[in-house]
Amino acid sequence: MPSTDTFLSVAVDIGGTFTDISMIDRSSGKIWRAKTPSVPSDPSEAFLTGIRLALDEAGKEAASLDQVLHGTTVATNMILEGKGARAALVTTRGFRHVLDIGRQDIPRKANLFTWSKPQRPVPASRIVEIDERVAAGGEVLQPLDEASVREAAKSLRGMDIEAVGVCLLHAFANPAHERRAAEILREELPDIAVTTSTDVLPVVREFERSLTTVLNASVMPGVTTYVGRIEQRLADEKVEAPLLLMQSNGGVAGSAAIRQAPALTALSGPAAGVVGARSIAAACGIKDLITVDIGGTSADICLIKDGRIGLTQHGKVGDWPLPMPMVDMVTIGAGGGSTAAISDETLTVGPKSAGARPGPAAYGHGGTEATVTDAHVVLGHLPEKLLGGRMALDVEAARTVIRDRVAGPLGLSLEDAARGILAIADNHMVGAVRVVSVERGHDPRHFTLVPFGGAGPLHGTALAELLGISSVMIPPAPGILCADGLLAADLKAEFSRTLPRAGAIDVAAAEGIFEDLEKQAADWFDIEGVAPEQRNTAKVALLRYHGQGGELAIGWAGSREATEAAFTAEHEALYGFALGAAIELVTLRVEATGRTAEQPPIRLPASSAVEPYDHVPVHFDGETVSTPLIDRAALGAGASFEGPVILSQLDTTTLVPPGWSGCVHETGAILLTRPGGATQ
Amino acid sequence: MLDRARTLQAQEPAPERTICDPVSLEIIRGAIAAAQSEMEALIERTAISAFIREKKDFYTALFDENGIMAVGSMVPIFGDMTSPVFDHFPPESMKPGDLYWYNDCYGSRGAVSHSNDQVLLAPVFKDGKRCAFVMSWAHFADIGGMRPGSISPDATDIFQEGIIVPPTKLIDAGVTNETALAIFHRNSRFPDQSNGDMRALMASVELGTKRVSEILDRFGTEVVADAFAQLLARTRRLVRAKLSETFDYGTHRFTDAIDGDGHGNGPFKMRFSLIREKGEEDDRFIFDATESDDQAPGPVNYIMNRGVPGMALGLFYLGGDPAQVCNAGGPNAIDEVRLREGSFLLPKWPAPLGMRGLTTMRAISAIGGLVNVARGGAPAANSAYVVTIMRGNFRNEDGELERFLLADGIGVGYGARPNADGIDAVYFVAQENYPVEFLETGYPVRLLRYGVVRDSGGAGKHRGGCGIVREYEILAEDALLAVRIDSLKNPPWGIDGGMGGGTGRATVNPGTDKERVLKPLSDGNRLVRGDILRMETGGGGGYGHPFDRPVERVLEDVLGGYVSREAAERLYGVILSGDVVDEVSTARARADRPATRRFHRTEYVDALD
Repeated sequence: MPSTDTFLSVAVDIGGTFTDISMIDRSSGKIWRAKTPSVPSDPSEAFLTGIRLALDEAGKEAASLDQVLHGTTVATNMILEGKGARAALVTTRGFRHVLDIGRQDIPRKANLFTWSKPQRPVPASRIVEIDERVAAGGEVLQPLDEASVREAAKSLRGMDIEAVGVCLLHAFANPAHERRAAEILREELPDIAVTTSTDVLPVVREFERSLTTVLNASVMPGVTTYVGRIEQRLADEKVEAPLLLMQSNGGVAGSAAIRQAPALTALSGPAAGVVGARSIAAACGIKDLITVDIGGTSADICLIKDGRIGLTQHGKVGDWPLPMPMVDMVTIGAGGGSTAAISDETLTVGPKSAGARPGPAAYGHGGTEATVTDAHVVLGHLPEKLLGGRMALDVEAARTVIRDRVAGPLGLSLEDAARGILAIADNHMVGAVRVVSVERGHDPRHFTLVPFGGAGPLHGTALAELLGISSVMIPPAPGILCADGLLAADLKAEFSRTLPRAGAIDVAAAEGIFEDLEKQAADWFDIEGVAPEQRNTAKVALLRYHGQGGELAIGWAGSREATEAAFTAEHEALYGFALGAAIELVTLRVEATGRTAEQPPIRLPASSAVEPYDHVPVHFDGETVSTPLIDRAALGAGASFEGPVILSQLDTTTLVPPGWSGCVHETGAILLTRPGGATQ
Repeated sequence: MLDRARTLQAQEPAPERTICDPVSLEIIRGAIAAAQSEMEALIERTAISAFIREKKDFYTALFDENGIMAVGSMVPIFGDMTSPVFDHFPPESMKPGDLYWYNDCYGSRGAVSHSNDQVLLAPVFKDGKRCAFVMSWAHFADIGGMRPGSISPDATDIFQEGIIVPPTKLIDAGVTNETALAIFHRNSRFPDQSNGDMRALMASVELGTKRVSEILDRFGTEVVADAFAQLLARTRRLVRAKLSETFDYGTHRFTDAIDGDGHGNGPFKMRFSLIREKGEEDDRFIFDATESDDQAPGPVNYIMNRGVPGMALGLFYLGGDPAQVCNAGGPNAIDEVRLREGSFLLPKWPAPLGMRGLTTMRAISAIGGLVNVARGGAPAANSAYVVTIMRGNFRNEDGELERFLLADGIGVGYGARPNADGIDAVYFVAQENYPVEFLETGYPVRLLRYGVVRDSGGAGKHRGGCGIVREYEILAEDALLAVRIDSLKNPPWGIDGGMGGGTGRATVNPGTDKERVLKPLSDGNRLVRGDILRMETGGGGGYGHPFDRPVERVLEDVLGGYVSREAAERLYGVILSGDVVDEVSTARARADRPATRRFHRTEYVDALD
């Protein structure tokens, strides 16, 4: 039984190479971390090994766990690799090819002579039509012909499928036909997973909803099996605590909700890190930050304003739009493994990546491409003498690939070539930062940059300089921030209703709908077991000018005038103009948050000692400087230093160039500042 | 590399030394692409008309200090966008904060080719020096003219196609000419849309100007100018090299045709030649369309801007390489473009132009045809995208009659490629459909069917793309319908054994005793509440012998509704038994392989004429 004087939460983040575990006793604030090799063939094995390691270190029993938090990329990987279950789709008669047609466009950045439509997750040969029709307002034009559903089930039986989605026209306005059709299919096909579009994404536009439905169907069996296996392992260990899974929106949800709509996790991979960064920044008193999570193949960039993580419905997984609420971030193909290539005398970096194997040449696994990591090695940013001797770097291999692949062909010096590769990679990331900041009306110079992920702290100060940012925060454990982030995540769900007809705000009608939505939220709180004092809801109105296609989410201000004024101000701020046109209310939404127990802040013991354990030569703009190597774990709160410095720790390396100074915050975070730094 | 650089200097008025290094070049290119995306996102999010924000008929581009397009959009329809403005406003006279505007097809020599398209162009300055231009362009849903939507197959001169804006200074050093805007919006049947769309377009150019200024601040004017020059030189060099590979010395001819002008005239033949000859220093490539037919009384005339042939060939040769930039390097690679005034590709003022879309689509395929009569490698012909325009009145919730305008673009099948099928059911670059659920929420129609037309893709080893069937039930009290369909008499051609694509048609009340088939390019078709309109669009041509198409792909096409069992047997030699292939009969059928010739439209021929 969970104990009453502790509140133990354990978080497990499974990466390609390592599984990271963070465990906290929320009543004392004590934290334990562990790391174990991932087991790709059965991730639940490392899941349990890791939890045992953490429990052993803390001297706790498995049964004393109160919460198990987990982020999984099972759904994401199945979609990206096209390895979901063989699925089918049931749709309204006459509309079998909606999924194939898509939006009937050739993408704006594609070449019409060479582009081909990506193959759909479900081909037309596995799409079956049934007789029914609902109108735009939700009224039934043609009742559901149940015989046609049973007929469809008969065809589906011959298709050798594991899952089927149902997506009917205008179901978001009236889901009755979808629900009944799903019921019949479950009856007729008891061994097949059935999902409906309204379970996953009850919003207008049939192509995007159909696509989300089939993606959800195709990942259902895999995710169900995966979650089931983990729950079984936890049960075997006598863990009674609920399993909470990370969603794309940055909140966690119970496993029942995820089983119903596993697609909710498809964009969750980078979300936990953002939540973790926000939490640490908050402990340092920083509310406006831009996070840059740099891994091996990609970088995820997110802006947090006033401590709030923004959400978007414009997410994509691989080729597919997935318009479900996700943390509003931009992902680009630039990471430590991104390769440099020269075509037609032009140097490009990424989106191709050397991946984990062979990886950068410097890793000594036979990599022959020049990567971003190799450029760092050439410049001395990643010294051979890193702590723990966990990975020997092959400096000569890095120099060879940079020389042969880049410096030679372009007639540049070795160091200039390496600097060029980093400049291009940094520029990609700066472009992405601009998308989340300037493009949305925020001046990045007023934000703190928070780099994390294995490669983030190597790029943080360079990105800050390009962006004119003068403050950078390095989290205590940047390489495993995702596990920490899980511990900081709240339970989250959204309840929304799109009005049958968009029009002027009718306050009484809106309040009535909000009341309904809050009731739904209350039911959800009950199901997830959220205590009354931890419940929080926010009312949001989605507004637009009459005729516009996209809405802005505006906090409900209680009156028409105030809400409209907030919309006008937001439109002006985002787009640079406002119109005299009529403002329409499109959708009302209640955002429900179940706060996890507050955690007391971590306090690092104070110490001003800064003792380098070695010095290495590092190339900074045209000169080589003997640079101190510092063991980050040896630093206490209040310690301060001046760049150039390289900070070494188990999960990452931080580069602090000349002109930057750092000090250690009592949370363990390091704050880097650039007094009087110019903006270019 | 040095040698190549020297050759380049001989060809290009490039600076003496390379000021912009490869790293900065890539960074500038990335920054411009990001600025373009930002401008496009702003238009999409803030525009008011469905034509812009849902269908997304808008593009952006960036030009060097002399107005040469350094970074365009991925469309082969842009020519010389800036010189029309320079004719009236010399670049030296321009000031920071200026914004220029036009939609004048004749006054811009076809830079815009129908009046609905509004072009906004702004110079970008740094330290008092003009360094670049930024453009946004969008199709406005209604700018006046004889019918709602401004374009109509009935038009017989350009004045029936809406208000004409000659190159005009819309903002003079920060001061907006509100009167010009007021006149323009007053001429629209939907002035609120016109106003909202214009504000969105203006905001996007302002944003682009700001972004390019930041790039100039960061790198300096010389480096940026050199980057533009390099981007242009790179594309030109690539296109010239590929042209040399494709075309031997001599004259290469290709002829294609549109069916008619909707006024009983046609077909109109486009006769293209690509001539390669030895010049004094280097070879000369000449595009010649002078032998094309005379201009049409109806609105299918297309003022082919002199930049277009090179832009289309450039885009084809750039292929899918994301490191390449579509810009004026394509047009610059062509030494001369010959057009004949009075032909339907360079009509005399004031011939109508509104339906030029079908001619444009055909011209793009015919330029590919030039490649195919030489060394080959270009796609088979695309079908020309289709439009239905409905205007009328419906009874709103209060029981009052309300006016509506629905211009619905419908995708077609594109031509098959040497290595891939043609694209099924697609309209054009960046232009999206109106989703069924969107249409039914905002317009008095209900859709009964939205799918692909079986057997419309030309048979081939690589199948031509299939067209679309879109069936509307009319809920409006009454509506006047215009349709734009081409290629019934001259279907899209297939190549190398690939067969021609299927044809489109528009039918009212199909399968009933009130059935009537509409003229494919016509206006004034009256529809009333309860009528059913079935639009079927054509497919693209095939590539390669149909018997070489893998059996399992033919099977998938049959099961997916793209190819009928009958066609699988007759055209592909694939015989099905239930839902599986009858291997023995198929092998027997495929052993008897029909002979083919170079092209196929309705039958195999050695050359099209």
